[in-house]
Amino acid sequence: MLRDARREAAVVVVLWAVALAYKLLYCSRFAYRRSPETLTFVLGFPDWVFWGVLVPWGGSVLLTAAFALFFMRDGELGDERGPRA
Amino acid sequence: MTAGGAPQGPFLLASLIGIILISVGLARLAQKRAQKGDFLKGYFIGNRSLGPWALGLTTMVQSAGTFMGFPSLVYSHGWALAFWLSGHMIIPLAAFGLMAKRLAQLSRRTGSITVPDLLRERFDRGAVGRVASLLILTFMVFSLIGQFKAGAVLVKMVWPGDAPYSVGLAVFSVSVVGYTLIGGFLAAVWTDLFQSVLMLLGVLVLFALTLAASGGSLEQSTVRAMEQTGPEFAFCPGYSTDGREFVPLELAFSLSFLWFFANAASPGGMSRVMACKDTRSLRRSMIILSVYNSLVYIPLILICVCGRSLIPDLPPRQSDEIIPRLTVAATAGVPGGQVLAALILMAPLGAAMATVSSYLIVIASGLVRDLYQRWINPSAAGGRLRNLSYLCILGVGALAVAANLEPVDYLQAMILFSGAGLGASFFVPLAMALYWRRATAPGALASMLVGALAVLGLFVAGWAGDDPGIGQATRFRPFYLLGMDPLIWGLAASAAAGVTVSLVTRPPGSSHISSLFDAPEPPCSTA
Repeated sequence: MLRDARREAAVVVVLWAVALAYKLLYCSRFAYRRSPETLTFVLGFPDWVFWGVLVPWGGSVLLTAAFALFFMRDGELGDERGPRA
Repeated sequence: MTAGGAPQGPFLLASLIGIILISVGLARLAQKRAQKGDFLKGYFIGNRSLGPWALGLTTMVQSAGTFMGFPSLVYSHGWALAFWLSGHMIIPLAAFGLMAKRLAQLSRRTGSITVPDLLRERFDRGAVGRVASLLILTFMVFSLIGQFKAGAVLVKMVWPGDAPYSVGLAVFSVSVVGYTLIGGFLAAVWTDLFQSVLMLLGVLVLFALTLAASGGSLEQSTVRAMEQTGPEFAFCPGYSTDGREFVPLELAFSLSFLWFFANAASPGGMSRVMACKDTRSLRRSMIILSVYNSLVYIPLILICVCGRSLIPDLPPRQSDEIIPRLTVAATAGVPGGQVLAALILMAPLGAAMATVSSYLIVIASGLVRDLYQRWINPSAAGGRLRNLSYLCILGVGALAVAANLEPVDYLQAMILFSGAGLGASFFVPLAMALYWRRATAPGALASMLVGALAVLGLFVAGWAGDDPGIGQATRFRPFYLLGMDPLIWGLAASAAAGVTVSLVTRPPGSSHISSLFDAPEPPCSTA
């Protein structure tokens, strides 16, 4: 269980870092210091919100489901033990 | 559409009474369930019985800030809040994938029922548990006080006539403290579950009504809001009337750390993870929370963007009333509008109630288990522990009420302070406790204290210093070193202190560590 938990924690940190890098890079380029005339909308959202926040958010939901269903392993949590004196 | 009046009516009062009665009913059921077996395990951790829905919908509790502070910020600053909040996309993985499985396992192996309890057992040092309890108390109280204020304001809004604030405070406090007292941990979880469903329904109904009221076009709502405010409403760092940069890039970067690490190390959330039934529940709860967060937070942003175009003239001091006022405006003239308004307005109230009940349990369990039973009177009988638990919940509730006799300001800022403080104090020591054999008690103590002091120091410096012109416009602000949230510096300091001190102090005993890190020996055959 310990080895599985460590491996899963490492993957979670990597996924978080990838999501963070993507949205920071995208939003720093397209959400700041823009001329209002260049603003377009995708499904009603400002373009940078759609591509910089919503798309990675949707991707995170899918990755979370994949992580939970196919990667994270079940294990025995063990018996309840009384605390030591 | 105008700013709308106060949201009142017979359905609202009936809904308020209904939500209180259902919560008390659930608390009575929880009381019966928790009575089986050891009192503390039943009252403070529900005999480790939580399944995926209870875990998924209640571990990361939506607070009153979700429905008051956050909407106020979207209303005031615009689409930049989508970037500000985007770290929430990864919270389910942080909450259930980072440390949860090992936390649940170790809490069983050590018989721990609270986070300080677990740290004490892992590091084999009473001082670690005591310091952890005091830090939880210190940081959680700030958030708790803010939630009481929000709950009181919401009850005052739905109370008939021009009720004073004190009526709202009294009704809210008696209700939540009452049902938490009756049913303990399971009451908090079950009522949170019920209230989470209310929140989701409320948000989705309000989203549909608001979008319809604004002509069905999110794009047109954004354009109208930009015309009423400025083009900055659609971009980062966000619109403001005084040149403030609400979310500069450095702050957005550091907030992603805040959402991730503070949620992974939230004592309220971790106590629920420790109460999980099995690892299958952890896996499924991750998916449930991921979908739930998406259905609550994204529509909330859209609601408030439409709200800015529908109600453009709310004064800044009233912007945290955007959800109630929008509810009144959007349901006016709709068939069954009062019933819908009642349903929607119970969402923020449910959020405040859920957070308060959760925090009361965490704080009371820390006082009773970690300070009284572990330190003062290890042989205390069940009856005494029961009475003391009730007394602690009443006492903490009374403290929060006393602090709110004059309504406190800075709701959202206090919640962020609390999250940063808890994240900086607990993430590193917990990660060390769960995954690093060489971590020592002095290392854990140093890690907790240095992380907490770093965050406290930056908030004190921010309070005393000049307004840097970034983040929220509030007196309760930190000093943004290099433009970043204090949690970043707290985590870095905590990690440096924890690792360094662990490496220069004597390693923990091998048999103790083996009992926590290695698979138990199979039972010997007697044949």
